[in-house]
Amino acid sequence: MVAAVSTYRLLARNQIRISLRGMKARQGRLVRVLIGAALVYAAFVLVTLGYFFDRFSLTLLPGVPPVEIVNQSLVATFITLFFLRFMLQKTPRMKVVPYLHLPIRRYRLVAFFQTASLLSIHNIYPLFFFIPFWLRFVVAEETAQGEWYWIGAVVLLIVGSHFTNLLVRGILKQRVGLFYLLMSFFIGIAYVDEVAGIGMQQLLSGFMFADMLSGKATSLVLLLAYSYFMIVASTFILAKSLDDPDAEHGEKLPDTRSFQVPDEWGLLGHLVRSELLLMWRNRRPRHNLYLSVFFSTVYLILMLGSGDFFGGTAFPALLGLLASGGFVLNYGQLMFGWDAAHYQALVTRNVPFRTMVRAKLIVLRTSCLLLFLLSLPLFIGLRPDLVALHTAFLFYNVGMTSILVMELATRNRQRVDVGRDGGFFNFEGFSARHWLWFIPTALPPVLFLQALHDTPDTGLTLLATVGLVSLIFTEPWTRYFARGLRIRKYTMLEGFTGHAG
Amino acid sequence: MQVELETIVKTYGTKKALDIPSWVLKNGEVVGLVGSNGAGKTTFLRILLDLLRADRGKVLLNGKDIRYDSRWRARTGAFLDRSFLIEYLTIPEYLEFVGATFGFSRKQTAERLEPFTAFLPMAQLDRRRLLRDLSTGNAKKVGIVAALFAQPALVVLDEPFANLDPPSQIRLKHILADMAADPGRSMIISSHDLGHITEVCGRITLLHSGAIKQDLATSQDTLSALNAWFTNEGIASAT
Repeated sequence: MVAAVSTYRLLARNQIRISLRGMKARQGRLVRVLIGAALVYAAFVLVTLGYFFDRFSLTLLPGVPPVEIVNQSLVATFITLFFLRFMLQKTPRMKVVPYLHLPIRRYRLVAFFQTASLLSIHNIYPLFFFIPFWLRFVVAEETAQGEWYWIGAVVLLIVGSHFTNLLVRGILKQRVGLFYLLMSFFIGIAYVDEVAGIGMQQLLSGFMFADMLSGKATSLVLLLAYSYFMIVASTFILAKSLDDPDAEHGEKLPDTRSFQVPDEWGLLGHLVRSELLLMWRNRRPRHNLYLSVFFSTVYLILMLGSGDFFGGTAFPALLGLLASGGFVLNYGQLMFGWDAAHYQALVTRNVPFRTMVRAKLIVLRTSCLLLFLLSLPLFIGLRPDLVALHTAFLFYNVGMTSILVMELATRNRQRVDVGRDGGFFNFEGFSARHWLWFIPTALPPVLFLQALHDTPDTGLTLLATVGLVSLIFTEPWTRYFARGLRIRKYTMLEGFTGHAG
Repeated sequence: MQVELETIVKTYGTKKALDIPSWVLKNGEVVGLVGSNGAGKTTFLRILLDLLRADRGKVLLNGKDIRYDSRWRARTGAFLDRSFLIEYLTIPEYLEFVGATFGFSRKQTAERLEPFTAFLPMAQLDRRRLLRDLSTGNAKKVGIVAALFAQPALVVLDEPFANLDPPSQIRLKHILADMAADPGRSMIISSHDLGHITEVCGRITLLHSGAIKQDLATSQDTLSALNAWFTNEGIASAT
């Protein structure tokens, strides 16, 4: 057996190499530069928000001290981050497996990968907000003991939420449905808590952190005990899953419940079914689906509930675009790339390009209608004045956004690994075109409504008409896209398969 | 279906991967494609299926250029590798999908699959697995059956015997022999297994460095002739 230090050094070197090479293999130089710029930008935004929080808090809750606002929101923030982690963050199990046959002690492997898993964007980025905030508002105004307790508690919350996710994922690996049921239950309680004005979580959060700032260690000890328990329990579950052959076996038998399409629907029906199964049975497209639903529900509640804070025309227009078109923009832009692994199977079989395009348009357009219906009660309840906008964007998204996204999708040439997670900054399959495409896709309706803000009804009617006219021209659009796919067949295959054309 | 390759040339950089002045597969013929690794077999099949664009030349199926007339796809069954499978589907879902590409209903697909049930991994557990969770051999069986069950006029298979267990190899040999008996069907099968290929195919095309070195009707001496050729090639490449 190799000595501990050498083992950890070896594993660390290997993991760094895998990460760097993986990124190089998946993304081109330009995309890496853009990702780097986006990371720096996001960090800068968080640092600014943390350091100048007093200015933002003046807009949000005038008269309330910044520390009090943050204290009241900390528990809710970390619960929300936990749900986000659950959707996007994987357990380190699959990273450990390739090393199991090597002469390395198992507990060292587990310890290394559990520790290394902390180097996640979910853990690092919150610190870009909390450290400047702490330096500016907590250190300056609180007792020495209290200030250290406070930042210690924030770090413990990050660590605790990280290992809670690993534990929950480990336990509920085969019971994801149960988790979503529990998640919905908690969101429901939080929503009732908020709507009924009880504010239980705010009270709890505010009390705990105010207690720590006053120099009392009780809440900190509780958090420490919680985080410690999560570390131990998640490590135990990980180690156990490596011994348990049933866990491996279980992974190979995912839920394959399916649905039938009537024979009369023919190949088109099978292609639609196949697209839906692709979305549901593969990690990354499924994340796109979750995020779209998340946007059209939870996020929309926050945005619509903000009252006049987001005034003007541009922001509501963007909300309208994304509320029913979020899935089209998210999932649609990588279509055909999702099919990269089996694109050969499609183009050598009797699958006309026209039918392929038609099936994808059906999926995209149906998603607009479903998201519209899902978010309609929120618009009616929270912002009835925006229902007309929401309806106009349904027509625009169905008719126009789906077409613009299809134009981008039929030019995809990069393979997308559908099994990888759709975590932040996983831009595999993206090219510079995807970034630039946002301009003709999202900006025109927003700018158009902004330009007609004096006569909003006219603007919305015109917008809906554009969508409707485009919808009427579906057949010519379909022929156009099919022709493009035929012309670009070899270059797409070359990109998808890696075989030089 | 008649297949013609006319002055096909494919190069990768400076390396000529394929250079075939002329090659014809007549209607009802079964041809075995043999050659060492890198001889150009897969490139040959990929160009034939219009998955790869040749630098020069054209492929004609029943006299029609495959690049401009895609009707051949409704009469062709092919399996080159796992990328011909849709890995997130189960076996029944995938075969139903392939059936739909030939215009079959679910019932028709099930009927046409009947003769292949002994060859397919159709245990209850396998039926529930996604294709990506099948072993290499079982996934290959599904791909081969998908290429064959619609009884297409042209069958293209790359290394069908590799990774199969011995009983499955024997079953496949019988299936291919039965299908080859249909005079309206043409088949191209590439393989490293000289024994199986000479048993199944009526003609052998031997590729070496992208060029056709031999193209002979199969006889009793074919296997020993091929063995001798590859032995000499091995010695030549070693020296």
